[in-house]
Amino acid sequence: MITVNNLNYSYTDKPFIRDMSFRVSRGEIFGFLGPSGAGKSTLQKILTGMLPDYQGQVQVHGVECKKHKKDFYENIGVDFEFSTMYEKLTARENLNFFSSLYKKKSKSIEGLLEKMGLAQDADKRVSEYSKGMKARLNFIKALLHDPALLCLDEPTSGLDPTNNRLMKDMILEEKAKGKTILLTTHNMQDATELCDRVAFIVGGQIMALDSPHNLIMSRGARTVTYRWQENGEQTAVCALDEISTDQRLQMLIHDNRLLSIHSSEPTLNDIFMDITGRALV
Amino acid sequence: MRMEKLIAGDVKFQRKYGFYFLYAILTIIYITAILAIPQSWRGKIVTLLIFSDPPAMGMFFMGAIVLLEKSQRVLCTLAVSPITPQEYIASKMISVSLISLLVAVSIALAAGKDHLFILGMGTVLTSMIFTLLGMIVAVKIESLNQFILWTVPFEIIGFGPAVLYLFGVDFPVFQYYPANICINMVAGRLPGGLKIVILCIFIAILFGLAQKSVLRMWNRLGGAKL
Repeated sequence: MITVNNLNYSYTDKPFIRDMSFRVSRGEIFGFLGPSGAGKSTLQKILTGMLPDYQGQVQVHGVECKKHKKDFYENIGVDFEFSTMYEKLTARENLNFFSSLYKKKSKSIEGLLEKMGLAQDADKRVSEYSKGMKARLNFIKALLHDPALLCLDEPTSGLDPTNNRLMKDMILEEKAKGKTILLTTHNMQDATELCDRVAFIVGGQIMALDSPHNLIMSRGARTVTYRWQENGEQTAVCALDEISTDQRLQMLIHDNRLLSIHSSEPTLNDIFMDITGRALV
Repeated sequence: MRMEKLIAGDVKFQRKYGFYFLYAILTIIYITAILAIPQSWRGKIVTLLIFSDPPAMGMFFMGAIVLLEKSQRVLCTLAVSPITPQEYIASKMISVSLISLLVAVSIALAAGKDHLFILGMGTVLTSMIFTLLGMIVAVKIESLNQFILWTVPFEIIGFGPAVLYLFGVDFPVFQYYPANICINMVAGRLPGGLKIVILCIFIAILFGLAQKSVLRMWNRLGGAKL
């Protein structure tokens, strides 16, 4: 579906994207994680054929991105982080207009508006929409022509918990239909939950690439934290793989004196900081 | 088919953003003013008015449209859609020319002008030239003030010789100047074949330049700012 080999790109004399290589399979959700200015948007622009002057091989649907024709976009849907609608037109007018630009028959606008909870506001001008409503409308726009590849940039940004869940369910629904999804996000929780694999991008380079689960398991030691009463409340932590050798814990279990016990593992954010030495800001 | 949808979208956009309303009011004002001036003055004044306003406004319309599309980031969506820069430019050119044509014909009818077909053709061609100039300038700028400043040299080059020509200040070489050919057509005079060819070549060159500018603008959207 997507093949990137030895990709290099520069806006100036200094290299910006350096020697990137990866593959994304059909039906996979692939996450790009990195701080602002790391090269995520540039990479997305290269993959969507907007920056043709790169070095290396970048193929989407078997087409070299720098040589694509305009029908290349019949199968790509891009959901930008910001609103990309005519503000004075209504949501329905915007969706009707943008869907008319594709050869493919549009998905049901009514159905998608209903699904994303915007049916009641379909005839409101976009300028009257809240940030979260605009995010949902943008997502609908990316889906209208039923593309095989979806590029989502911070799709859950500005959403309340209910709509955040709704959006994530819709993304997983598209994956279940066999769509390939590129997800650019700062939100490690979303990435952990949605992505099959993630690439940590810092300074135009991929610093790590694996499934969130593998990244967490490979780097982080899972721990067990337990509390008990002894001259006040006490807390201790031990590594999960050393639990059988922790004499105090054994004794507390034997005496039924534990107040609480829970295991924890590092988050993807911890792993990101560990690998890149950077925070996701 | 896609082109038709694109033009329909542009017309809707222009209607919603008040372009048609603005020009309906201006047309009424122009017609009232024209009917108030003596008959003997009307010919040249109407020609100058039609040449300098409805079609030449294409330049300012383009500034407004591209700036609005930039500020509302609609261009990001268009850049990753099957629309080509040629289709994008042609749609704007046709939709803006339509307003120019409607206004020009309304004024010409009210003023009792003859040769409406040639006048209409002249209006459309003038509108195309100024729309393309406006597009070339608009893709480079970020604010309306910047745009107005950048269009001043184009206005001087575009209007200067044509206005002089209309009032009899003529140099032989200027008869082949695209703006002069256009103002002649707006005045109802059919140009010769060579002049039509010059006009078509000039529009084709501007179209090519506009196409390059739009492509560069689309490639600059989003991504890192260095």
